[in-house]
Amino acid sequence: MTALWQLTLLETKMFFRDKLQVFWTFLFPVLMIWLFGSMFENQAPEGFSFASLYIPSWIGVNIVTTAFFTLGTVLTGYRETGVLRRYQSTPLAPWKILFAHTIQGTVIFCFSAVVLVVFGTLMFDLHAPVYLGSTLVALLLSILAFFPFALFLTSLAKNVGTAAAISSLFLNLMLFLSGATFPLEMMPDVLQYIAKILPLYYVIELLRATWNTSPLWENWTPVLVLSCIALVSIVLSSVFFKWSGKAD
Amino acid sequence: MEDVIIVRSLMKSYGTKKAVNNLSFSVKKGEIFGIIGPNGAGKTTTIEIMEGLRKKDSGEVSILGMNPEKDRKVLNHRIGVQFQATSIQKKMKVKEALKLFAAIYNKENTSDEMLKLLGLEEKMDTYFDDLSGGQKQRLTLALATLHEPEIIFLDEPSMGLDPHARREMWNIIRSLRDNGTTIVVTTHYMEEAEKLCDRVAMIYNGELRALDEPSRLVEDISAHFISFRSPDFPVAQLHQMSGVIKVEHDEELDAFKLYTENLQSCSYLLFKIAQEENYHISDYKFERGTLDDLFVHYLQGGASA
Repeated sequence: MTALWQLTLLETKMFFRDKLQVFWTFLFPVLMIWLFGSMFENQAPEGFSFASLYIPSWIGVNIVTTAFFTLGTVLTGYRETGVLRRYQSTPLAPWKILFAHTIQGTVIFCFSAVVLVVFGTLMFDLHAPVYLGSTLVALLLSILAFFPFALFLTSLAKNVGTAAAISSLFLNLMLFLSGATFPLEMMPDVLQYIAKILPLYYVIELLRATWNTSPLWENWTPVLVLSCIALVSIVLSSVFFKWSGKAD
Repeated sequence: MEDVIIVRSLMKSYGTKKAVNNLSFSVKKGEIFGIIGPNGAGKTTTIEIMEGLRKKDSGEVSILGMNPEKDRKVLNHRIGVQFQATSIQKKMKVKEALKLFAAIYNKENTSDEMLKLLGLEEKMDTYFDDLSGGQKQRLTLALATLHEPEIIFLDEPSMGLDPHARREMWNIIRSLRDNGTTIVVTTHYMEEAEKLCDRVAMIYNGELRALDEPSRLVEDISAHFISFRSPDFPVAQLHQMSGVIKVEHDEELDAFKLYTENLQSCSYLLFKIAQEENYHISDYKFERGTLDDLFVHYLQGGASA
């Protein structure tokens, strides 16, 4: 078996051994949907159901959670405890490490998305995406934008504590300001503008649109924004990849 | 024997601090070469430059005839590295770690012989986090050696191990050497240097202070002395005895160390005076210097032996 495949498999297995991670990734979103659903189920705008707006949103939020916590914070921990430094003295190339973690993150994210969709279908009559192909491409684009973005940001942290703090800050900021949990229309104008600076806003715009109303090519603004983020953060995260927190 | 490692005039600074200052030595094939010195002496920096993980400022480093900075990709197949205070993923099982590293090196799997030697057979399903300190060190040693490297670098391999586990670690390292592997080991335990290493380089403040077989280093120093305890022997009188070079007195313990060229005649004088003046002497011993003394000697004096 190749090292790349072996590493991906092991990292995925190890994720499921961490019960806390499993809770936050799989159960927490379900609990939130259930909570918000019981409050706002009947307040959805004309033509939409609660589930068709908020399940795609939470799938978007899960991309952020996976990016920052499953990938970013974990890799910062590996950097801090010398796991990556050990790899550095072996023939394992850095791109293989990043690639293995990206695949692992994608697999875990897909699991969590399936959990949400099944839950939404059973509890809130969620309908399938109207533009399925567009939705899948939108998900892929969001992953490409967020995974390297989170990897780069958390690599600026010297230790797990700081990485977790950065991650929590971004997650909470985006959770409440991107329209994922509360309708943006309820918020003051200033906050609505701030929301548009946050990358998650565009993920949610795109996912909600492709799920309900329009295909990818009619939503060029979020597509463009996410593509730019993807491009810039892939470059940044690979150029500034560090094996250890220490100077050389 | 051919030199597999050559280090010449190596320099490395962090800011204004010189971590490695004009260091030169070479390591022969099949020897256990120790780099000893106190914490912060530059041991880890030196070994990491040899591994290609750190960049040198100037000087020359050749590992198996290659430049570790430029040829790291090739060298990584031929060297094994065990880091100080090592860690792998907490929730990784022993067998998974072995399998992963076997895949990284394109090896089939770890040999059963190796597992037996390292005593890991019964821990295959244990998480790394649940292993004892000694088992962790043995596992990371297994990971550093499973591709049968020509040179193994070990940074403080017995740090935090109990005496029994340390001895086991030494036996493993010796058996690797006996199979023809060259081993470079850093340590700040002088006992380890004395018992394990074929040759040691003692560094302090990034500079080479001594380089030889441990037994010769010990012989070189005039650290042969008499130790005894006495509640009433006047220190001044000891200083006046013929043949005494130096007297050390620990007032709390009433303990004395008498450095001399001639242990026998000095002992005779000591007991003669004690008998005549009715001083009391206990815990009398001839002592031979150890690397520890040599170490302290350098730390205090800084002069070369």
